Amino acid sequence: MKKEIPILLGLITGILWYGEFFIAGMFQENQKLFFANGLKIAGVVGVAVGVYSVARQNYYKIKYNNERYYAVLRVTMIFLMIFLGVTSGTSSGTPFSSMFMNVYVPFQATVFSLLAFYIASAAYRSFKAKSIESAVLLIASIIVMLSKIPVGGEMWSQIPVIGEWIMDSPSSAGRRAIIFGGYLGSITMMIRIFFGLERSHLSE
Amino acid sequence: MNKILEKLKKIDRRIIYLLVFLSIIIPLLPGFDFLIFPVPPTKETKAIFNEVESLNEGDAVFIDWMFDPSSKAELLPMFEAFFKHCMKKKVKVFIYYATINGINLGKESVKKITASDEFSWCREGVDYINLEYIPINADIRIFNMDVDFKGTYKKEGKIFEGVETIRDLKYIFGLSGSAYHMTFIDMQIRFNYKFGIAVTAVMGPDFVPYLQTGQITGMSNGLRGAAEYERLVSDKYEKSYYGTATKGMSSLTFSHLVIFGFVIVGNIVYFLDKKKRG
Repeated sequence: MKKEIPILLGLITGILWYGEFFIAGMFQENQKLFFANGLKIAGVVGVAVGVYSVARQNYYKIKYNNERYYAVLRVTMIFLMIFLGVTSGTSSGTPFSSMFMNVYVPFQATVFSLLAFYIASAAYRSFKAKSIESAVLLIASIIVMLSKIPVGGEMWSQIPVIGEWIMDSPSSAGRRAIIFGGYLGSITMMIRIFFGLERSHLSE
Repeated sequence: MNKILEKLKKIDRRIIYLLVFLSIIIPLLPGFDFLIFPVPPTKETKAIFNEVESLNEGDAVFIDWMFDPSSKAELLPMFEAFFKHCMKKKVKVFIYYATINGINLGKESVKKITASDEFSWCREGVDYINLEYIPINADIRIFNMDVDFKGTYKKEGKIFEGVETIRDLKYIFGLSGSAYHMTFIDMQIRFNYKFGIAVTAVMGPDFVPYLQTGQITGMSNGLRGAAEYERLVSDKYEKSYYGTATKGMSSLTFSHLVIFGFVIVGNIVYFLDKKKRG
């Protein structure tokens, strides 16, 4: 029954929610709120499990001297933020908010900003017209790049027009094909989960 | 010539990083304001602007904030310009944070705007409200909003008067650095709401097909979209609402030109090397 009950629950709730999309009012209103409340409880428990899991992982790293100092820093910061949030709240002006705005925000923005340098380096080394297809790709990407900056329109008035056409026509045509393929794949996966053929979500 | 070619082939990537760094940082330094170029708005950004312009005083707008500090450079200026525009139009703004990492960032941003003289009249709970974060999926949340909007978010305030369900929202505006808002697009056909989106530049092409089908009424694409929106609001109200997006466009322009230069030089080196090797 350990396997059959989750599969049965998945089938019933899947059919009910699938039907709700097409038949308005299939659910009673309080049943919809029941699912939302249940998911909120599961979410809170998930956060607790996540914190425990991270703490346990880092405990073993500290114990067996595997990147010990990073593990100590990680655990310290997690519990410091929890402590600050619980004791003084998370609203503006609190120590939690100061730590978030002055430490976390600059750090995360910086990490993402590093991509710009890698892209520039990759553009120099690998963005080459080695074949006709890559030459077409190169020209299209240069036109689109120039159409996104004001200078492109100053260089030649048609650059924004051509750039927009590239985005609206060939690019969105290819994107639409990928979206169709993706959704067909997800429908297949959904049917497999409904009928219990796919059990990866049950840790099997 | 061969020596130059060999040096360019094996150029130290730190030189590339340095040039990119200088192209980004120099336009942002004081005294380089002359490098700020005007940004003509595109039809996608104008569509968002026109939607907000068509709203009446007291109409409800829902902002679905789904970005964290990593996308702050591109999306925060758009949020600020959009929020200011909504406050100028005196529409009610509901701000929901779909990511925990965005809550404090959003609240600080709103606090900074409402602390200014022009928007000091804005009151939380009456003109705008922060709906915090709840750990449920977007689709379940949308279904719940159709049942009981206020009950979904468990908040109180005069702002909820007249807003019972999702159908009372005149415009939903999503800000995201990922494909999160695909759920809103999927649900749009079921609940028939007007939905606009601000995305990072890398995600923009993913949403163009939905613009063409009308599932999204407008799209702001990255930093440029935010700069366009700042310009539209500034032109409309004849006052400068230019912020970090417009200033950042000069930085973006020069970094694009530097990368463009790298691509050209890289290809010249490639073809010369190919010719040399026969």
